[in-house]
Order: sequence, then C-alpha cells, then structure tokens
Amino acid sequence: MALDLTVKLGPLTLKNPVMTASGTFGYGLELKKFCPPELLGAVITKGVSLTPWPGNPGPRLAETAGGMLNAIGLQNMGLEAFVQTALPPLKAAGATVVANILGHSPEEYGRLAARLALTAVDMIEVNVSCPNVVCGGLAIGAEPSAVAEVAGAVRESCGAKPFMVKLTPQASDVVAVALAAETAGATAVSLINTLPGLAVDLERRRPRLANIIGGLSGPAVKPVALKQVWQCASALTIPVVGLGGITSARDALEFILVGAAAVQIGTATLVDPRAPLTILDNIRQWMLKEGLDDLSQLRGALKIG
Amino acid sequence: MAAELDAVITEAGVLDNRPLSAATRLLVLDCPAVARAATPGRFVKLRAWPGPEENLGGPLLDRPFSIHRAEGGQLSLLYRIVGPATRLLSEVSPGAQVRLTGPLGRGLPEALTRRSGLYLVAGGIGLAPMALARDWLASAGGQATLFYGERTAAAQVEESWLKTWAGQDWVATVEDGSGYGRPGLVTEPLAQALQREARPIFACGPWPLLAAVANLARRYSAPALVSVEAGMACGLGVCLTCSLPLAVGGRFRACQEGPVVDALAVDWGAA
Ligand SMILES: Cc1cc2nc3c(=O)[nH]c(=O)nc-3n(C[C@H](O)[C@H](O)[C@H](O)COP(=O)(O)OP(=O)(O)OC[C@H]3O[C@@H](n4cnc5c(N)ncnc54)[C@H](O)[C@@H]3O)c2cc1C
Ligand SMILES: Cc1cc2nc3c(=O)[nH]c(=O)nc-3n(C[C@H](O)[C@H](O)[C@H](O)COP(=O)(O)O)c2cc1C
Ligand code: FES
Repeated sequence: MALDLTVKLGPLTLKNPVMTASGTFGYGLELKKFCPPELLGAVITKGVSLTPWPGNPGPRLAETAGGMLNAIGLQNMGLEAFVQTALPPLKAAGATVVANILGHSPEEYGRLAARLALTAVDMIEVNVSCPNVVCGGLAIGAEPSAVAEVAGAVRESCGAKPFMVKLTPQASDVVAVALAAETAGATAVSLINTLPGLAVDLERRRPRLANIIGGLSGPAVKPVALKQVWQCASALTIPVVGLGGITSARDALEFILVGAAAVQIGTATLVDPRAPLTILDNIRQWMLKEGLDDLSQLRGALKIG
Repeated sequence: MAAELDAVITEAGVLDNRPLSAATRLLVLDCPAVARAATPGRFVKLRAWPGPEENLGGPLLDRPFSIHRAEGGQLSLLYRIVGPATRLLSEVSPGAQVRLTGPLGRGLPEALTRRSGLYLVAGGIGLAPMALARDWLASAGGQATLFYGERTAAAQVEESWLKTWAGQDWVATVEDGSGYGRPGLVTEPLAQALQREARPIFACGPWPLLAAVANLARRYSAPALVSVEAGMACGLGVCLTCSLPLAVGGRFRACQEGPVVDALAVDWGAA
C-alpha cells in the first residue's frame, strides 16, 4: 500500500507530519548522523533574535518527574549569523526549514520576518513566549491583543512566506489567543511551548536553576498539550501543529487524532537523537496495521459522547 | 558550528558492576564500537532503564559518565551512587544490556606533549577519567603522578584496586584524617609537587577543587586542563543546558567544547 504522509500548511507541503521542535535540534545539521534532516517533514531551528543573546547563567537544567526544566534564556547566534552560516548548508542538505524567531516587541518581530522573507527559509515560526517589554514582562503570548499585534507585524513583513504562531500554555484562554493569531493572518499555529515551573533543592534550601524558574517539557506536559491542541483544532480553520511530551508514534498519533495537522518532537530528541525518525517509521507501521493510507482518516476523528 | 560527531549509539553488554567503596562502582561493558574511539577525558551517555516511549517511568534523561578505561573492546566506567539514575545503574547485573552513546565531547588534546608527564588530580569520583589518562601517557613514555582526594575514608575506593592501575606514583588524601593516605586536602601535596616541578595538570572533580587547581596553575605557571561538569540533557551539543562561562566573556558547551578545557579559559567566579 502506498502511504501518503504529506501535510499542507497553507502553501507549504511537508513530506510528512514529523518536525523537530525549536531548541532541541540545534540549527539543523548537528545531529544529521543520527537523524538526517531532509527525511523529516521540517526542521525547526533554534529561536533567533535580531542580535545574539547570551542566555542565562547555569545551572540551566533540572530533571523532574517525567520531564525537565530548562532555563536557557533563549541563547542564540542572532539573525545574521543564522541567515549566513546556518541556513545555507541546511537548505543544501535538502531540508524543509522553519526558522523560529523571538523578540520583545511587534517591531522586532517585523524586522526578523522582513529579513527572513529574503532568504530560502520555507516558513517562519513565531515564538511569543518571551516577556513583553512594552507591557511589563508578561509573556506576549498570554494576551490575544499582544499576539494579534505581533502576528500582524509578521504578516506585513514576511512577504509570501507562510508563518505559524507558537502559542504558550500560559494563556488563560488559549483558544482566544489562537483565534487572534488566525484573524491576524497566521498560516498555522503550533502549541505548546514549555510550562513555567520551579524545582528546589531541599537540603540546600535553594532553587535548582540559577534563573529560579524554568520551562517544563517532556512526557509530564503531554496531557496539557493534548487538551489545548484539541481545543484549538476544534475552534480554528487554519492548521494546528501539536507538540509537548511526544516520545512515541502513539503519542504523535494521539495529537493527530485530536486534530493536529502535524507534530513536533522536542525533549525526546534530547534523550535519543534518532527519535523523530523512529517516530516517523512507527507512524508508517501503525498506518499499515490499521489499513490507513493517509492520515486525514485519523485527523480530528476523536469520538465524543 | 559543531565538529562532526564520531559518537555511536549502541547496546552494550554488562560484564561486571562491582563495588569499590560503599557508594562507588566499577561498570565493565563489552562495547568495542565505543572502546575503539575512546580517548582520555571523553565521556559517554548511558541509559540502564526503559526509554520514555515505553511509558514505564524512571529517569527521563540519559546520564553522562567519563570513560574510565578502554581496553580490548571493553569499556569501563567508574561511578558513584548519588541519586535515582546511579541507583538504578548499581542494580544492573552482568549479562544485562545498557544503552551507550559515545564517545562524546573533547578529551585531552592530541597535541599534548605526553613525554613531559602530567599531574593527575582527582577529587572524589573525579578519579574516573584518570586511568585512561594514565594509560595514554604511559604508551608514550610519559610519567603520571596521581593526586586523589576524598572527604571521608568511607568514600575512598579500595586501595588494592587503585594500585592495580595507578602503579606506585600516587598520593591519596582524606579530609577526615582516617583511611589510607595523608590527612588534608588534595591541593596540599599538589602545591608541594608544583613547587618542586611545574608539570602540566589534568584535574577532574567538584567545581571548587577545579577553581583551586586553576589558581595553583596560575601561581606556578603550569598548564592545566580540567574536566568540567554541568547538567546535560542531550550531550550532543544541541540543547545548551550544559553551558558554562568563559573567562573572556561568552560561554561554552561542556558537552561539545569540553568537558576537558584549559583551566584558565573558565570563569570560575560565575557558573
Ligand atoms: C561530562 C560528565 C562526566 C561525568 N562523569 C562521571 C563519572 O565518571 N562518574 C560519576 O559517578 N559521575 C559522573 N558524572 C556525574 C553524573 O552524571 C551524575 O552523578 C549523574 O547524572 C547523577 O544522576 P542521578 O539520577 O543518580 O542523580 P541526580 O538525581 O541527577 O542527582 C543527585 C544529586 O547529585 C547532584 N548532581 C547530579 N548531577 C550533578 C552534576 N553534574 N554536578 C553536580 N551535582 C550533581 C544533584 O544536584 C543531586 O543533589 C559526570 C557528569 C558529567 C557532566
Ligand atoms: C532545551 C530546550 C530549548 C528550547 N528552546 C526553544 C526555543 O528557542 N524556541 C521555542 O519556541 N521553543 C523552545 N523550546 C520549547 C520546545 O520547542 C517545545 O515547545 C517544548 O519543549 C515542548 O515539547 P517537548 O515536550 O516535546 O519538548 C525549547 C525546549 C527545550 C527543552
Ligand atoms: S548537553 Fe545539550 S548542548 Fe550540551
């Protein structure tokens, strides 16, 4: 049976629904020995800002039950280094590339998108989990109006490039934020980013991260992610890309069942760099076993009531 | 951009997993693929429990361990039980399989002139990489003097076992004054030796020890290489959890530009 694994995100067609999550696959080529990027639906690169960011002091990692907290502080090489040194070899390798961007204001996001519009990136992913300098440090992604402004600025600057807004689970009404992104012209939304968390060292009476607060990822966040993806997929007409705690093909297929168009693999790749490919292979095996020749028969097929 | 990875991911058979002190174990693995490429100071990441995809609980992340020795297709690790992952590892019996990814990171520089010898400085389980460093020096006629410090006698590895690889040229210290060796800190005999002859140093152990070694190296104008530790999620250079500060500003990845780095390159005052 010939399987059709392709997925459409607006004008962009992905080879298959498995992508890497930003910040867990470097700039796309570091892990090629274990996971050739051209075999994946897309590679989403580490978030870049207008200028390089140094990130947070260490310790930056604390493992927790079924998950991990990270406090990298969005350390990155900066936009120009990304465009000039990281992007060309990744495109030359045949990968579909989604560039993840982060900024502090709609204006910064607009400038990032304008520069990327002139490059070979296939899509832009807009991380709105960073603190909003204009409104006092609250995550931009917590507020529908702030997300609408950022998505609008990207829409105006990105030319013909499709873009997806990566939502934060911190929003009190994630569907309202997703709808704001859709209305502002986003091609798709992706969710979830990490959940803020705290880990402490009881004997030393200290936080385990230098930054005190970190972002929780891994299997522990999966039920939260699945619920938010289900809610957004039910409410939106644009595609929803699901992520958060996916470690197996079954996890990935569950996200598709609740309505995700495609999925991203994050922390699982840190555990085993082959994870995205293993998951893709096992999705194929499952489809063969179930007699599905394309995923549209599963997508959003969750039975309620 | 990252150097080409020469690591492999492989299952390795456990040949031995035996106690050398109350909390220290020697794990011997049948693993020619990693043993072949092992050089002193490089490390592996290891998993001796189910992967997250099996949904059986257990630690999420693999754990990093220095390569203790590599000989004839066998790879050994020296580890201390400090938490859940190392406890699970201590329960693994000969015949079982563990998953290894490695060798990872940068070890002692190839260009090091081995014949001028090294002072090997180990704080606690920082003893782990010293055996391979000693073998490597010996193969080029270089002399190694080992300085091995522990806090308590209970933590010290069996003296008879230490002698099997460290030969005659070693000094042990123990802070509580019991056990074998001299009472006090490992930096005391090291400072005396540096005063006599300023040989290059290779040190591994807790951050404060490495910072003290960096100071001694500066004082005696001895080159010093240190193996640094940081929490590592991927061990492969992509997640940036293991980042440490450089003396000149900026940061480096302990798993990629390290774990073995020039002691003077590190900003010991920060973290
Ligand atoms: C490059 C590298 C090489 C290493 N080589 C060895 C080795 O050869 N032998 C060996 O026994 N260990 C080594 N370690 C440390 C080893 O990885 C940890 O002891 C192990 O991950 C602990 O896992 P756990 O689940 O048992 O304990 P955890 O629950 O992870 O930790 C238990 C306790 O130890 C502390 N701890 C854990 N990891 C570290 C760390 N990296 N630095 C400081 N404190 C820590 C925690 O804060 C906690 O209090 C190395 C680490 C690195 C980065
Ligand atoms: C070490 C690390 C770094 C991350 N960096 C970024 C980033 O730069 N930009 C971003 O949008 N998300 C970043 N994330 C979030 C992930 O892309 C993902 O949303 C989150 O980890 C949940 O998925 P997972 O459980 O599969 O890891 C990072 C996550 C981790 C663990
Ligand atoms: S542990 Fe991931 S970059 Fe070093």
